[in-house]
Amino acid sequence: MLNLDFEQQMNETEKIKRARQIAIIAGVFTAFVGVLLLLNYLQIKKSDPLNSLVLEKLVERLSSEPNNQHFVEEIRQVDLLMRKAYFTSLWQVRTGAYLMLFGAIVLVLSLRVYYSLRFAIDQPSADQIKEKKKRQLTQRWIGFSGALVIILAIMSAFFTMNHLKNYEPKKMLVHSKSDDESIEKVEIVSIRTTEKETDTVIITESTDVEVKQPEVAITQQPKVVVFNEETVKKNHNAFRGSWGNAVSSSTNLPTSWDGATGKNILWKTELPIHGYNSPVIWNEKLFLSSANTSKRVVYCYDRNSGKLLWEREVNNIQGSPATQPKTTEDTGLAAPTLTVDGEKAFAIFGNGDIIAFDLNGNRVWAINLGVPDNHYGHSSSLLTWEKKLFIQYDTHKGSKVMALSTETGKTIWETVRTNEVSWASPILAKIDGKFQLIMLANPNLSGYDITTGKQLWSVDCMSGEVGPSPVYGGGLVYATNEYARMVAVNPKTGEKVWEDNYYLPEVSSPAYHNGYIYIATTFAVVACFEATTGKLLWEFEAKNSFYSSPMIAEGKVWVFDTGGKAYIFESGGESKLISSPELGEKVFSTPVFADGRVYIRGIKHLFCIGVN
Amino acid sequence: MVRLYKKHIPLKNHNNIFLGLIFLLMTVPTQIAHSQQQRFPKPEFQTEYQIPETERPNPRAPFMEYLDLFLLLAVLSLTTWLVLKKRSRKWILWVSVFSLLYFGFYRNGCICSVGSLQNLTLSLFNEGYSVSFTVLAFFVVPLLFALAVGRVFCASACPLGIIQDLVIVKPIKLSPWLQKSLGLFPFIYLGLAVLYAATGTDFIICRFDPFVGIFRMGAEFHMIVLGISFLLIGMFVARPYCRFVCPYGALLKICSLNSKYHLSITPKDCINCKLCKDSCPFDAIDFPTDEKENRASRKDFWKFVFYAALIPVLMFVGGWAVSGSYKLLSSAHPDVYLANLLVSQPELMQNTENLDIETFMSSGKTLEILVEEAKIIQEKFRFGGWFLGAFIGLVIALHLLNQVIFRKRSIYEANRGDCFSCGRCMDYCPVGKPEHPFFKDKPEMVVKS
Ligand code: SF4
Ligand code: SF4
Repeated sequence: MLNLDFEQQMNETEKIKRARQIAIIAGVFTAFVGVLLLLNYLQIKKSDPLNSLVLEKLVERLSSEPNNQHFVEEIRQVDLLMRKAYFTSLWQVRTGAYLMLFGAIVLVLSLRVYYSLRFAIDQPSADQIKEKKKRQLTQRWIGFSGALVIILAIMSAFFTMNHLKNYEPKKMLVHSKSDDESIEKVEIVSIRTTEKETDTVIITESTDVEVKQPEVAITQQPKVVVFNEETVKKNHNAFRGSWGNAVSSSTNLPTSWDGATGKNILWKTELPIHGYNSPVIWNEKLFLSSANTSKRVVYCYDRNSGKLLWEREVNNIQGSPATQPKTTEDTGLAAPTLTVDGEKAFAIFGNGDIIAFDLNGNRVWAINLGVPDNHYGHSSSLLTWEKKLFIQYDTHKGSKVMALSTETGKTIWETVRTNEVSWASPILAKIDGKFQLIMLANPNLSGYDITTGKQLWSVDCMSGEVGPSPVYGGGLVYATNEYARMVAVNPKTGEKVWEDNYYLPEVSSPAYHNGYIYIATTFAVVACFEATTGKLLWEFEAKNSFYSSPMIAEGKVWVFDTGGKAYIFESGGESKLISSPELGEKVFSTPVFADGRVYIRGIKHLFCIGVN
Repeated sequence: MVRLYKKHIPLKNHNNIFLGLIFLLMTVPTQIAHSQQQRFPKPEFQTEYQIPETERPNPRAPFMEYLDLFLLLAVLSLTTWLVLKKRSRKWILWVSVFSLLYFGFYRNGCICSVGSLQNLTLSLFNEGYSVSFTVLAFFVVPLLFALAVGRVFCASACPLGIIQDLVIVKPIKLSPWLQKSLGLFPFIYLGLAVLYAATGTDFIICRFDPFVGIFRMGAEFHMIVLGISFLLIGMFVARPYCRFVCPYGALLKICSLNSKYHLSITPKDCINCKLCKDSCPFDAIDFPTDEKENRASRKDFWKFVFYAALIPVLMFVGGWAVSGSYKLLSSAHPDVYLANLLVSQPELMQNTENLDIETFMSSGKTLEILVEEAKIIQEKFRFGGWFLGAFIGLVIALHLLNQVIFRKRSIYEANRGDCFSCGRCMDYCPVGKPEHPFFKDKPEMVVKS
């Protein structure tokens, strides 16, 4: 009897041991399969043929050579391969899942056996708290939970945006076909009359009371928007003025002011968020953008009064990254300057967001181009012409130039570029009666057909991290970069006319006027060269270094140093400083001119300078 | 630009959502759900390959449907007998394993009583939608059984419950306050499920069924994670889904509370030996009440009056609050979601890569009509929100009220609402079991009691 009891006991302990061993093995097995499954899952995500980078690259290349059958074949092969790999992985996951299920069943069973074998009826536990106390506590917690539910519901009522409420069908007209047609008609409308109208508006408007007038005018006749060479010349609608060529047609500009005393400062307004881009102007409206890591904003000011007409946060863009890319302090996320096509203002940010607003601040379209891989931050500004928005998108992960439809944001063409990452902005230059898009990067300066995106010419002439944009004048394109060189290239022949490396700018771009080239360097020198030969004509030592680019207006060269001191020179072969007024605030952006006023974005304020 | 394939771009929610526990549970996953609707597109190559016609499986043969129903009835009847007469946990366990294999793994967790409540709701609110007899029966039969004998459905027929029951390894005790406050959620979930089904938005119970992915051996990654998490938690907190989530369980609970014949822990008379006290993994055993406390509780009378008066107040406040949250609630509806998206981001209308938007654009509907429709749906939510909120208010008030009602109890017995009729506790009762260890080791205690 005793013996039997003992044997039984042995069996029990043996069984418990077995159960524990099996449980451990099953547990390890299940965990192992689980980890494998997880890895496989990640693998699937990566090999997902729909998001394959390789395929995308190939497709991109195909778009530049659409008729290349070889490419098509290759893409098919790759696609097939990826799909096969994908489905094999799926099969593996499925098998793994069954294995894991099996392991889990064994684990649970053995655990159950283990615990039930060790099972013994415990001495019943003693009651810890009194029933009454328990109930009171319970009431309190039910009360809390109930209140929480109700409070959450109430909060959701306040914090949920209902876009449908503000929906007005009219606003969306921009997208309807009829509107597109009416825009087409615009070109036929007589330009003269409308221009006169805008002219009168500008003259009569100098007081606050009349500020609203242009808005009314615009809303009343939304279709009479003229965007042609004449109006672009009148408006400083892009970085470094019309077509980015550093020339303004404005006259009656003030040459003296003083930020400290307020002399000739017509107004100044504080900019809530910082940004390095320069303002742009269309008629009475001035646009600029700002960004920090939490938000990106586009502002529209009445340029006569300095009143903020609207500000729009740039968000809810499909594909926009949740966390912003890292940029350096001196570039930030709002380095690129906006552009305006008379109907819409376009802005691009360092996270690849690009957005279009109509001039009244209604969002028209927005896309994300993919986060640009750029160690300082993307800084290339926008240009628009012929209903296309041009974007120089030179990044570490490949470079390209593209034209988006200004109406819809859809890509019209996209051309892959072979250069390194760059920070320069494109310019438009009329060569042989046709506008070309000209861009500078390391190593090439090149011109593109704006209708097809085809590269027309390219010259390898630059090195380093290219910041300055090119300039066109007198039949030549000038390009320069610090620690590299300054070159003059004939865009028709692609031939280098001259090359020099005496003074070179780092950030600031060159300007051209009447056979002279002007540059402003980080080492605080303004220099003038003969445009046809590259001969240094004069140099001028300034107080601080230059980030802002020189502009030509009224036959003068205007440039701001980083300390906020402006230098105004007579344009010509001899150094003639007209004046050097102080703004009293640091300046990194480029001045903007319109109707006898100079607009400049300081580090904190936006200034309007004119004769008062 | 040449595009050879379409890219999957999941819709993103752009609402300024305040993520609270409840509202997280009810909306965020719904939005994830939108991405599930995207399909794996076929390649857009032009080849000679003929893409075959899509085949649609025939509906399940009626005979098979009746087989399901027959098996359900059989399982429930058998369990009733096992619970009330045979009193065998072991057999209940085996019946439940059969149900798990059949209703769970073989029938893939569908047909399901838990979800059937939504089909029923939709058919009541939408004339174009009707439910088959089997669906109706699957909804009603377990409730009828619950009314008669308690939650035998949970014990051995519901695959969701059984899979959790099988993984219980070492259950811990939860404090009553935690249980009771978490116990509010099934009712809220029930109300939400009804609202979403009635407005034709979604079947959220099915969408967030954590175990169906395991039964089908495949689901969205996050649902698998959810299912596994429930099972892992379930090893220590027994049947977490049943107790704190399952909306059908809430209905069963109400029915079972009023059940005519319910499982009793002891076969004859409770001898107050306390042996079964800790036997229930679900803390569903009520203890005998203390006479002293009983007397003291008379003071709770005014509290009772207060809570009773609170009922209409809470119902009104709840109704007002939830109806006010209609914007958030309705954003789970595909039309409202799309309308919101397109109004806030009009440029997306040009986005032919998003299948939802493309479908809408090719339907020829204008945005105006879409917005109008969306507004009508929002109105429905605002209206339905009053009922949902009032219901939630009522549930809260009744739960509070229940805490001040003091029932005299002299024995250990299963709480009719919370008991799943799993039969575990019956094994602990020494009454009528001379070979019980209790008698072996401590015979003197019997004398004492
Ligand atoms: S509570 Fe719900 S999930 Fe759990 S067993 Fe019952 S019906 Fe099934
Ligand atoms: S039968 Fe017993 S152990 Fe099972 S749930 Fe009911 S009270 Fe708990």
